Order: sequence, then structure tokens, then C-alpha cells
Amino acid sequence: MNQPATAPLLGGFGPKKAKPRRRIDLLPFILILPTILVLLAIQVYPALYTIVLSVQEREQTGWEFVGLQNFEILFDSAALGESAGHTVVYLMGYASLTLMLAFFIALLLNRKSHLSGVYITLLFIPWILADIIAGVVFRLLVLPDYGLFSGFLQNPALFPPRGLSVLTADAAKPWIGNFPFPPSPAMVYLILAASWRALPFITLLLLAALQTISNEVIESSRIDGANTWQTIRHITIPLILPTMVVALFNLTLGGINGVGMVFSLTGGGPGTSTHVLSYFLYSIGWVSLDFGRAAALAVILAVINLTLIAGTLRITRVQHRSA
Amino acid sequence: MKARFALIALLAVIVMLLGACAQPTPQVIEKVVTQVVTQEKVVEKPVEKIIEKPVEKVVQQTVVVQAPTKAPARKIVSWFQYDQGNVDPKSDERVGNQYLRDAIPVFNKAFDGKWIWENQYTPWEKLGAKLVAAVQVKAEVPDLIEMGGSYVTSFYKNGVVQDLTEWAKAQKWYAEMDASALRNCSGPDGKLYCIPTANRPSQVFVWKDRYPNGFPKTTDEWLKEGERLKKEGKYAMTFFGSTAFNGNGAARAVYQTIGSFGGGYDDGNGKIKLNTPENVAAVAWLREMVQSGYVPEIAFAGGFQEEQAFMDSSAGAIPTGLFGYRYINPLTAPSGKKYEKKTQDDMLDAIAAGDVYLAPMPAGPGKKPGCGTGIAALAIPVGAKNPEGAKEFINWTLSAEQNPAYVVGPGGGLPVLKSISALPQFQAPFYKQAVAVASASDCKVIWTSVVNTPAAETAIMNAVYKLIKTDPKADIAAELKKAEEEYNKTVK
Repeated sequence: MNQPATAPLLGGFGPKKAKPRRRIDLLPFILILPTILVLLAIQVYPALYTIVLSVQEREQTGWEFVGLQNFEILFDSAALGESAGHTVVYLMGYASLTLMLAFFIALLLNRKSHLSGVYITLLFIPWILADIIAGVVFRLLVLPDYGLFSGFLQNPALFPPRGLSVLTADAAKPWIGNFPFPPSPAMVYLILAASWRALPFITLLLLAALQTISNEVIESSRIDGANTWQTIRHITIPLILPTMVVALFNLTLGGINGVGMVFSLTGGGPGTSTHVLSYFLYSIGWVSLDFGRAAALAVILAVINLTLIAGTLRITRVQHRSA
Repeated sequence: MKARFALIALLAVIVMLLGACAQPTPQVIEKVVTQVVTQEKVVEKPVEKIIEKPVEKVVQQTVVVQAPTKAPARKIVSWFQYDQGNVDPKSDERVGNQYLRDAIPVFNKAFDGKWIWENQYTPWEKLGAKLVAAVQVKAEVPDLIEMGGSYVTSFYKNGVVQDLTEWAKAQKWYAEMDASALRNCSGPDGKLYCIPTANRPSQVFVWKDRYPNGFPKTTDEWLKEGERLKKEGKYAMTFFGSTAFNGNGAARAVYQTIGSFGGGYDDGNGKIKLNTPENVAAVAWLREMVQSGYVPEIAFAGGFQEEQAFMDSSAGAIPTGLFGYRYINPLTAPSGKKYEKKTQDDMLDAIAAGDVYLAPMPAGPGKKPGCGTGIAALAIPVGAKNPEGAKEFINWTLSAEQNPAYVVGPGGGLPVLKSISALPQFQAPFYKQAVAVASASDCKVIWTSVVNTPAAETAIMNAVYKLIKTDPKADIAAELKKAEEEYNKTVK
């Protein structure tokens, strides 16, 4: 068997062939280094610090390691389960209502009427308002006895037997165990207000996606005999599904973590009927000043967020493939 | 090569950034002194006399000499919920804002060259969290904070305020300080963690014309008056009945009611005790008031909107803290007379005119009127850079010259010092009535051993709200017991 003259024998002591040195270009890494440092400082470090805090409790003399005690106390309290139930109701209502309305409005705006630009501008107004401001305005509208709509809402003839005081009316008896459904009027109102606030952004997101769909595809489906519903169901939705997933992420994460609207509109009440997890977290951390337990709840919320993201991605991926 | 250059450039930028972030060095005057040193003898001073032998070696040395000017005044940084820069006449906190605008120059003049008062506006709802976070991460903290008595136990638990017991005992004002105000500033260990600057006991503001037969002395009489007022389309009272602000209503009218039946919340050992016959009776009475329609719906809306019903006199009374006079305006009397300055003067004018008066909370059978003590106070955070200055500030605030302005201004209540109470400013009808009502009531410190008062108040108010509003058939004792256990299992 001929060996090439330069081939090393038995691992080779022969003359080495100089391999071309593989150059590692450091420049891209150097260029992204500032971004990585910023991310480490403002995202990774706080996240790790939260985990560290979650296993500690503040005593007069300083921090004391307590293991999983903060988690035990949280899971042992009725408030966590109750808040989780309210969060589920809020999230389902808020995300589904906003997504459906946004999709419907986006379909209308996609028809390119003469005033589309005006509609879009008007539509954008809620988005520029801060959560807190929007909440206060919505609150003033339905304040018992003194709100703008209280005369109408609290009219017993229209809402028997005693009229409807949105911010103070009791919730109906739960259908299943202690799960807070049907929601209280305050929770329904909170969902409406939060959807109103989020609607512009989601509508624009979906409108942008709709405008990427080629007219030929839609026309072809029509020629093939598809009606409007079938076109939407089998052509439009599958084509904008990735954008819808992004919108759903935005709504889910915003809904589960946002506290501004709850804070200014209902303050978690009446009673505990709008006491969602984010408000619970705010109460423990910023009112009770118990940062250890608040950090433990933040960790729980992060796990819920990650689970929701993973679950949504998985479901939509399956749907995308089957579509 | 490019990579190396980029790396060097990046390092240079980081170094420059770090340099820019570094603290400026103190200003000093550098003087270069040339000293001549011989091999045989080193002469330090005076320089003129040192040339005794031929010069063989000259050494140059840099000596730092302090500027000959007097030491600059040191800052006293405070956190007040008032903002001296806010000149909005409609601001809710206009009185405190104006107080700071007036007081800061007076203080700075009085301590010219020694202290400079610098206030950093901190909204009241952020004060606690901001301070606890700052102390815990060893960030910059103020030298002084203005706070309410409700913060004492949480601050104690988090170790964020200094023990002032020994220092306070050595001060001239200590002997004449109101004892209940001092208790309000005491932690569960009995030590003093703040210094009271004004008293704010809870009382009842009453529209005289809604109670032509006089304000009821007992809870039973009040129910009868409630029925009479209901027939007139009015309400017996409005109160902080919502669960808003994390159950803070539990420390307001609900506590006044509980106190009027001889009840309370704190068991003295760090836990809450709710299921007592006194508390059950108090909640049962409150439930009857609400369920009979003697209280307007707005009482449960939160956000202090319950005050609306008193402002327009549709409700005849409002049990709340004395401090409330600052915020409950404008007013329309039952006669239609309007008090529309939209400042605290509206309530003071209505009291002076006899349309509104202060009364003790009606008492339960065989009991004294209930009343929760409340205070405004000053405290020194752990890690304050200038505690000496802060202590001098406290003495200044409690001085006979300065304290009246504070009490009438942001203090919004009664003086804590007997000598100040005797001053002419505090002989107006409002103050005289407030003193008389406080004397006739059984004023108690609400929290003495419970450290997580917000969580306790949340648990209490959620239970009370359920019992009086949403579930009027629920067993009171059982619900109170449940709330008690829910909180107590979080206590070690």
C-alpha cells in the first residue's frame, strides 16, 4: 500500500505539514460584548438575585437563609390559590377578547377604505395612555353614585333588583368549587378596560401580518369556491399564525405581569375579587415590605410564564404543521 | 489586527466610563514646597532657616494643605412626602409643600454654616419600600424620614431605622411628650424607633343638621338614627369600608368600631387575635349598619371616595383619622351652605361655623368610645450619613418656635408636647374639640407586637368586608378565626 511521501507513519514523526491556522474572528464577539454586559447587568443578575432572595428572610440583623420556607408559606396560604384563580379568569378573558377583537378590526382595516388611516390613528389613542391613567379614567366612569354612568348602571329598572354598582357588586356563586367563575362585575370591567388598552397594538400587529398575504392567494381560494369564513379559517389564519402567536405571547405576559390597571381601577377589590397574582406580588413586596417572600412569588410567576410560553409554542407549532 | 485595535478601543472606552463615574475628589489646595535636605541633617521647618550648610541634595515634595476657609456646611437629607418644588394650589399635599418652602430657608438660616437641609420628595406610598430596599442593599439613604406610626413595626422587622431610645430620654422635650405618641413609635421590643411630631387620633366628623338630637353616644342609638336618616334618603355614616390599600381600612373606622366594643387585633405576642366576643359583636353591629342601608355604596369603592358622601352631606358622619380634615373638601352642608375653598380651611371653617363638629365614636354596651392613636413622626434610617444633624433637626422641629407650624401644617393633628398644646394657635374650635374628643375616647395603639401589619390588615379587612358586605349570613366567629389562622401561620 503506497503511502504518500508526506504522510506521517504511525502517528508520524515525518515532516509536519503546516495546517492552515483556523482564524477566529473576535471582532463580532467584541462588538456584541457591551450588549451582553448590559443584559447580564439588567436581566441575568436581577433574575439570579431574585432566586437568592427567595430563600432568605430579612431579620433586624440582616438576611437569614430560610431554605424553601417562603415557598412553603406561599403554597400554604389560601391567598395564592385564590389569586391564581383570578389570574386564570383574567388572562383567559383578556387575551381571548383582545385577540378576537383585534383580529376582527384588523380584517376590517385591511379592506383599505378611504378612511383607514384615520381609523388607525384613532385606534392608537388608548395605546399612548399609561395603564394607571386608563385605569383611573375607567374607574371614574363607574364610581358608585358619583360616576358618569352610575345613574344608568345603578338604575334598578335596567339592572334589577338593585341596579349594578360595578366596583362594589358581589360576584355570583362559583360554579365549580372555589374557582372564581363567573367573574365579578369588577373583573369583567377590568378585562374590558385592559382589552381596550391593549387593542391598538395587537390590531396593528395583525394588520401588518394581513397585509403580507398576497391577494392572489385569497382570490385563488375564492375561485375554488371558498366562502369568507372558509378563507379566513383555512387561508388567512394559518398564514398569520406566527404573528398571532407573538400577539398571544404579548398579551399573556403583559396580562400575567401587569399590575398598573388592577392597581388604579379596582385595587384588587371589591373584597378580593380582582386580586390577581401580580397584585399579590406587589402587595407582599411593596406594601408588606417582605422582599424574601415577594421574591419567592416572583420565581413562581417566572415558572408560570415560562410554562405558558412553552405550552403556547408547542400547541401553535403542532397547529402550524397540521395546517 | 483589527480585533486587537477594537479590543483596545473598547477597553479605553470602559476606562473612560469608569473614570467618569468615579466620585469627584475633595477640593483641596495643593502647594508645592521645596525642602532642602542635607546629608547630615534634615531640617523640616522653617524652610528659611535650613540653609545652614552647603546644599548637596534637593528633594521636591508635595504637601497637601487644607484651604484656610471654614468647613462647609454638611447636608441633612430628608425624605418627606411633600415636595417643596410643587407649587400647584390644587395639589393634595399643598399644605406640606408650602411648609417645606417656608421651613427650609428658616432651618438653613438657623444652622448657617453647619447644616443644609435638602429634602428629596418621596411619595408616601413609596417611602416604605424605597427605604427598606435602600437599607438592605446598602444604597444611599436619607438622614431623616417623615413617617406615620403604621410603619414602625415593619421598619423594626426589616432593621431599617435606628434605636433612638437613649438619645430621646436625654432630650428636654422627652418629659412632656405624650405617652401614647411615644408608644406609637415603640417597636415590639419597647425601644423607640421614631420621634413623634404630631398626634392624629381617630374621631368622628359629624354634620350637625343631620343629627338634630345630637350625635348618638351608643351604637344602639346610632342604629335608630340610621333608620331615621334612611327614611329621609340619607345615610348615618360613610367610612373606609373597602379592602383597598391593602386593608388599611382595618386601622380606620373598622378599628374605631372594634375599639368601641372593647376589642382589638394584636395579641401582644406577635400574632393577631380576632375571634373574641368583643370583635364578633363589633362586626355584627357594623354588618347591621351596612345591611340595613345606613351606609352608602360609595363607602366600599376604595380610593378614599367614601369621603364624597360626607362632602355632599348625604352621609351624616365619617369616622376617620383627625388628619382627614386636610383632605375632606369642598363641603356642602345639609342647609346647602357651601365651603368651597377646596383646602383644609373648608373643614376648619365648617367647624368654626358650627355646621360640623367632632365627636367620639358611639360606644358599645358598657364600653368607652373606640379610638386608634395615630402619629406623624421623624426617624433616622440605619446607614444615615449625618445622624447628628438629623437629631438636631428633630430637636429643631420639636422646639416651641417651630413645632406649631409643623403641627398646623404637615402634622395635621394635635401637638405631642404639652407646652405646645397650650399655645394660642391650638385654642381654635377644631383643636379644642379634638382634644376633648380624644380625652373622652379610649385611644389605643393598634399594633404593638405584630410586625407585618399590612398583611394583618389585609387579612382582617378581607374578612370584615366579606362578613358585612358580600356574605351577610356567614358565621362571624368562624370567619374571624379563619382570617386569624391565615395570618398567624405566616408568623414564625
